[in-house]
Amino acid sequence: MSVVVADKCSKWYGDVLGVSDVSWRLRGGIVGLLGPNGAGKSSLMKMMAGLIRPSRGSVAVFGKCPFSDVEVRRRIGYAPEHEKTWDELTALELVTVMAKLAGVSKGSAVAAERALDQVGMTFAMHRRVKGFSKGMRQRTKLATAIAHDPEVLLLDEPLTGVDPVARVDIVDRIRKLGEAGKTIVVSSHVLYEIEALTSEIVVIHRGQMLAEGNVYEIRRLIDRYPHRIRIECDRPRTIAAALAEQDHVARIVFERNGVLIETRDPDRCYDQLAAAVLEHGVAVSSLGSPDNNLGAVFEYLTGDGRR
Amino acid sequence: MSAASSLSITWTIASLTLTRLVRGRALWVSAMIAALPIAFAYVLSTRDRPDDSTIVDVFAFEQLVLAVLPALFVASSIGEEIEDRTTTYLWSRPIPRWAVLAGKLLALLPIICVLSVASWFAASIAGAFAPPSAASCLALVLGGVGLSLVAAAIATLVPKYAMALTICYMLFFDLPLGVMPASIKQLSITHHVRMIADVVSIAEDSVATGVTGIATISLVWFVVGLWRIRRLEA
Repeated sequence: MSVVVADKCSKWYGDVLGVSDVSWRLRGGIVGLLGPNGAGKSSLMKMMAGLIRPSRGSVAVFGKCPFSDVEVRRRIGYAPEHEKTWDELTALELVTVMAKLAGVSKGSAVAAERALDQVGMTFAMHRRVKGFSKGMRQRTKLATAIAHDPEVLLLDEPLTGVDPVARVDIVDRIRKLGEAGKTIVVSSHVLYEIEALTSEIVVIHRGQMLAEGNVYEIRRLIDRYPHRIRIECDRPRTIAAALAEQDHVARIVFERNGVLIETRDPDRCYDQLAAAVLEHGVAVSSLGSPDNNLGAVFEYLTGDGRR
Repeated sequence: MSAASSLSITWTIASLTLTRLVRGRALWVSAMIAALPIAFAYVLSTRDRPDDSTIVDVFAFEQLVLAVLPALFVASSIGEEIEDRTTTYLWSRPIPRWAVLAGKLLALLPIICVLSVASWFAASIAGAFAPPSAASCLALVLGGVGLSLVAAAIATLVPKYAMALTICYMLFFDLPLGVMPASIKQLSITHHVRMIADVVSIAEDSVATGVTGIATISLVWFVVGLWRIRRLEA
């Protein structure tokens, strides 16, 4: 039986088409939802989580509509893309409330502590969310999603803005959840984030599903274009110096509060970046990849680039 | 979903709302607003000997406070939740949508009622006039409940400007409507509050009419709020 079934599903926001005629069956495992910003990934996720209704077609989780069927949402864990949460609460309070609302009536605090431990947040569980870094917020969001031990996890951009060290750690923890038998859908606009988690991907662009299957073909396409990594930190020149001599680095551009690196080997670049950050003790405030390279692949897939 | 489970969810949302409220600023701002009629009563008492008109004036001020408190507590709490998209955390859980409204109201209604009545009592002491009657306290409590349901519905309809619109509704619609010399004033909750309170003499004075009026108006608004929250998407 398929865990998630989307049948000719479309979502309109007024005149704007968010998701267009998507039909998809998810049987299990970890699946990456890949697409540029505004592609429709979050809309699809929200439909699976029961937050929005399809304008046309249907989305079913375990055969039930998650928007109207309250009980099926007990089997779903969702971590939204946005950072807003109840900042006045401590991490433990937040996750405990989420566990209680998900139906963990007895031992919700224990379940919350366990979830925070699973995402490596035990050290900060009595601190208020207000003072958390982006990485800590992402981990806490992940804990809110797993606290009630759901069968399906929907993680919307869980690695956005996370520093390289935390990124490796979060990826490792998500993979462990997958190995534990959870069905996980992870969205991202960065192929290399998805690739670190799974080889099964769904490519979505302008609300449509372009491709579904193995990551290697997509990667072959994307490698034709230099991958861009933007890092905002207190010492961009130190980072630039550490990477300047590497043969895979095509270009380094200094920007306000950071540096933009173009590389032909993103895996090596991310590894060396993490090593440089740790070695020199650089304080990283954000790390991301602009869409452009992925956009080129999407243009190729949609045929836009040949017109 | 069982009744016990629904109750537990409502209680959890109420606790969450209270925790956030206590750690935020709204409670202190509201306490200061509720203290204004006390200062007003004191100023009046220093100028003239308290009489019936003093009580009427102070009660009118209490009604102003009563019009603002639901906007500060209920409308802002629900409106911000929707606008900040923290509702995604709530609505992705196996909880009925009405429980969000019920939980918020369960947490905030007692505070609004206690603040209003306490302010009225303290104003009577500061103004050196007779202690408030049971009817006037009942009127403030019922008015607080009714206006909070109106605020909740407005917040679900226009979350972005929930607080401002609720204050506008109270100050520029409900209060002026309530003093109109026409039957349209029956649409005003504050008119019914005055009717129950028996502070001002009103021709068709009747506690039962006042209670029915508040119940009808607030029920209509509450149904609108429930209808809207069931349809809201995150």
